[in-house]
Amino acid sequence: MAKAKTRKHDQADPMPPGADYQWPAADPAQRGRTRTLFGICGQCMQGDCATLIHMQDGVVTRVEGNPAASPNYGSLCPRGASQLMNLYNPYRVKTPLVRTNPEKGLDVDPGWKEVSWDEAMALVIEKLNQVRTKDPRGLLVMEGFGNRDSLLRDHFAHAFGTPNVVGSHAPLCSIHYASNLVHAGCPEQVAEMDYCEYLLTFGRSLGPNFATTGAIRRFTKAMDRGMKLVVIDPRCSVEASKGEWIPIRPGSDYACLLAMAGTMLNEGLPFDEWFMKHRTNAPYLINPAGDYHRDPLTGKPMMWDAAAGCARAFDAEFADIALTGAYTVDGVACRTGFDLIREEFRQYTPEWAEGICTVPAATIRRIAGEFVKHAKIGSTIQIDGFTFPFRPASVNTHRGITNHRGGTYAELTAKLMNMLVGNIEVPGGCVGDSMRGPLLEPDDDGVLRPQFRAQAFPFKFPPDTIDGNEFYPHKNATPHLAVQAMLDPARYHLDYSIEVWLNLGANAIRKNAQPEKYVEAMRNVPFVVSVAYHMDEPTIMADVVLPEHANMERDIVSVLVPPHQTTGGELYGADTVRVRQAVPALFNTRHCDDILTDIAEGTGVLYGPGGVYDRLNRSMNDLVLTDGFYLGEGTLDVDRRHTREEIQDQLLKTWPRGDGKGLAEINQEGFFRQPRSRKEFFTYYFSPGDGVRHPFYFERLKKTGDSLRAQLREVGIAYPGIADEETVWEQYRPIPHWIENSEIQAPPEYDLWVVNWKSPYHPHDSGNPEGNPWLAELYAQDPFDFAVFMNAATAAKKGLKDGDRVTVESRYGRTSGALRVTELLHPDALGIPGNYGLGTLQSNPLIRQGTFYNSLLSIDDNTLDAISAGQEISPRVRVYRQEGAR
Amino acid sequence: MRYGMAIDLKKCVGCNACTVACRMENGTPPGILLCQVEKYEVGTYPAARMDFLPRACMHCAEPPCLEVCPTGATYQREDGLVLVDPRKCMGCRYCVLACPYEARHPLRRIENYYGPGTVTPWEEKKHKTLTKGTVQKCTFCAHRLGDGRQPACVEVCPANARCFGDLDDPESDVSRVVARQGGSVLKAELGTCPSVYYLNS
Repeated sequence: MAKAKTRKHDQADPMPPGADYQWPAADPAQRGRTRTLFGICGQCMQGDCATLIHMQDGVVTRVEGNPAASPNYGSLCPRGASQLMNLYNPYRVKTPLVRTNPEKGLDVDPGWKEVSWDEAMALVIEKLNQVRTKDPRGLLVMEGFGNRDSLLRDHFAHAFGTPNVVGSHAPLCSIHYASNLVHAGCPEQVAEMDYCEYLLTFGRSLGPNFATTGAIRRFTKAMDRGMKLVVIDPRCSVEASKGEWIPIRPGSDYACLLAMAGTMLNEGLPFDEWFMKHRTNAPYLINPAGDYHRDPLTGKPMMWDAAAGCARAFDAEFADIALTGAYTVDGVACRTGFDLIREEFRQYTPEWAEGICTVPAATIRRIAGEFVKHAKIGSTIQIDGFTFPFRPASVNTHRGITNHRGGTYAELTAKLMNMLVGNIEVPGGCVGDSMRGPLLEPDDDGVLRPQFRAQAFPFKFPPDTIDGNEFYPHKNATPHLAVQAMLDPARYHLDYSIEVWLNLGANAIRKNAQPEKYVEAMRNVPFVVSVAYHMDEPTIMADVVLPEHANMERDIVSVLVPPHQTTGGELYGADTVRVRQAVPALFNTRHCDDILTDIAEGTGVLYGPGGVYDRLNRSMNDLVLTDGFYLGEGTLDVDRRHTREEIQDQLLKTWPRGDGKGLAEINQEGFFRQPRSRKEFFTYYFSPGDGVRHPFYFERLKKTGDSLRAQLREVGIAYPGIADEETVWEQYRPIPHWIENSEIQAPPEYDLWVVNWKSPYHPHDSGNPEGNPWLAELYAQDPFDFAVFMNAATAAKKGLKDGDRVTVESRYGRTSGALRVTELLHPDALGIPGNYGLGTLQSNPLIRQGTFYNSLLSIDDNTLDAISAGQEISPRVRVYRQEGAR
Repeated sequence: MRYGMAIDLKKCVGCNACTVACRMENGTPPGILLCQVEKYEVGTYPAARMDFLPRACMHCAEPPCLEVCPTGATYQREDGLVLVDPRKCMGCRYCVLACPYEARHPLRRIENYYGPGTVTPWEEKKHKTLTKGTVQKCTFCAHRLGDGRQPACVEVCPANARCFGDLDDPESDVSRVVARQGGSVLKAELGTCPSVYYLNS
């Protein structure tokens, strides 16, 4: 075996200096007492692992996975196993604070004054009442992965009257639109790992890369039974190390996908003809304007009946649906959507793609052929007595391919590949990780009714929202658009300003691009309140700090939501809801929902119709809909205050998939598990046969673009922030076509593309993993983490050596770090993992260490994907040695 | 009866959950990793990959550490576990040098994870179980075995890469998996007869 890669502690001191906190003695009443609490891990944004929290003498001594509960069955990841250090963290905010120094900055001492909760809340409520009187939209609620447990946050904001609830986390992971359109499920699509035999992935993790328990188990089981895995990625990840790694130039995956789809469409490979004719809109007749040709009588889209030699409305009886061909209907020259797509893709040959993405043309052809072969088109499988199409092959994409200009098209192209083999929502294929149920409903055109991000936000003018709903109708969460608008309201046509920034679990400064812009925007907001766990970047910018419980101190009840990485396994055949019993609070902190309840009461929006309780009664989880909690109108009395326990009890008792048991019962076992038939796991089951058509020709995308353009013209404005509007409209065409991202034509001196990956120690900002010294000890020593990575041959060409201190510069920012040469990267890539660096004067010093990848990114509108508003995550960079440094 | 472990390297994803679970179970301070995952880079671009090797005490049948211990602190139980009696250990570190697997760790001082001035309640409690000046090593979580529990690293592993049990019982899971897959041991040439087998290495 080769020599192990080890590293010196040349970059990080795993021991934060200066922490000198004397912990209060444990509660003497707890002496001699041993107890075990049911927990839910909060150390990643999924928060899905069930735990047992063991306490002795009032101290948490051990946290382990609950062996009886899915998805982890006793296992944990390294973050989950480190969570007690998130509880016992001396850098936590321990009491309410008020700023005395008006000057704000990440390295400016706010001159905190410790105050009582009453004083702090009175200040916050007074400011909120002022803004509500003036214009409630002046409240911005910034939320994020630091706290995924609040039940009341969004309801408070909406009851208050602001539409501005903005996620701080999403612009580097804009992965929703295509799945919400083609699967009608949120958040995305993943591989189904019980049956998949051939998995082709681009720019994503299947679990091992950032260590999520259930996904790792599904992955290892699938590999054990012989699933073939092909990983197309600039970096040889853990997954790629276990399968076939095909290196690709960063940011160029779209070209590879176009060529693979082009090969499938135009090089004689078989496709699922029944699926294309009966289960997609590919046969719909398209007029020269690119719209559906509609039946003049009924207004319905039409298809050509080849047997009858005439066109009919899509829902008529057909003897033989024509998938291809040009037909004149009602005097209009039409072609099928399938034909138009095939024609567009003729130019995207593997040879063309090789020049852009560096994947050899022969490899692209081979993979396309393998994918089709392994899909076993025409085969079926029985599950619980129901016969499904069996398509054990899937192509899955993620943020590595979507977060570029044109990234939405890249993901839609992967959808075309999946649809060509007919694998949508069937065993072995590509399956949404949303609620499992009757999601596949046709619209009036017979095409799948889209959900969530694929439903366009309405256009209002002047804009109602701070974060660009009006200009990016299919966007994901967009703090970058909010910040641009806050810094330049006139440019984005806003007629109001943000007066109060309420921060809860969010870190828009560190978790995004161009942190200086966020700092400036926060500085301009007259009043910032942070519901805070520690002195992170938004908190040191705050006027008032309201300290909140750590994850383990926060009691919740929670439905187990399907995870992002893959699906299958224990997720079949049951719905699960769990409880987290709180560890007694260590400091003068409060549960976030108690804080919000007080604020809502103080601002007069807690009670009555339209109040927080009324909204809570009527709300459903976006992801799991009726698989999740749903109180129902009138369940909570909207005119009196409720404790958290009362609300949790009612959520459990009214859970649509439950059997009426409540908090007292769940506290016995930690979870309820309701069995259901395994066939219900596939949404195909609820709408089989030709009941619905998935969009293959993306007519809805064109419609959104047409409508947006018309509305901008109607109000007489140009597309804000965009130099050339055509660069937007070209992304609203109904057929994916090659779009150059913002980096392809960068000046040649920026000769590398930076890539980022999640690490097992630090995938999200949940549970403060980068400040956890147990994890810091590991990431500081890990040869595959916490450094700047460069292909060995590239480094040799540049005269750079392992351990050199280097500066990395994009056109948008710069960072630095210790170089590590590796064979595990594409020669054109520069790797910076995790989200290390930045931090504040008063944060845990660990957070200030490491190479800050996000500082290389841009929030310039011209670099964004026009559909999702996702940010470019692989900007071109140049790298040079810092003279005199080693 | 001889306790042993099989670790499937095809399943291991190098996440270090075992390393952390071991720390939490055994209360070890910074710098002492009784269980760790070595990470390797194998091959040259583009035919390169990561490899992982989780390591701890091998609980050898012929432990070199045992014979060099001058005080009899190191002992071997009838169930195969190689342990250290902290009352007898004087911290001479002969065993540290003798162990070919770098599985023994002298506990010279007990530091705290958030710095010298802050002892978290967890550390306050767990550090009492450690004796400064002795040698620390993996015990296969001997204190859990009596309760029918497995070592912490086995139970925590999200990849189910580890299998633990009685190597003398041909019907045990660990014996079966080694028999079926033909596990290998590290540095077999030294004749230490480790009780930790690696599958798919």
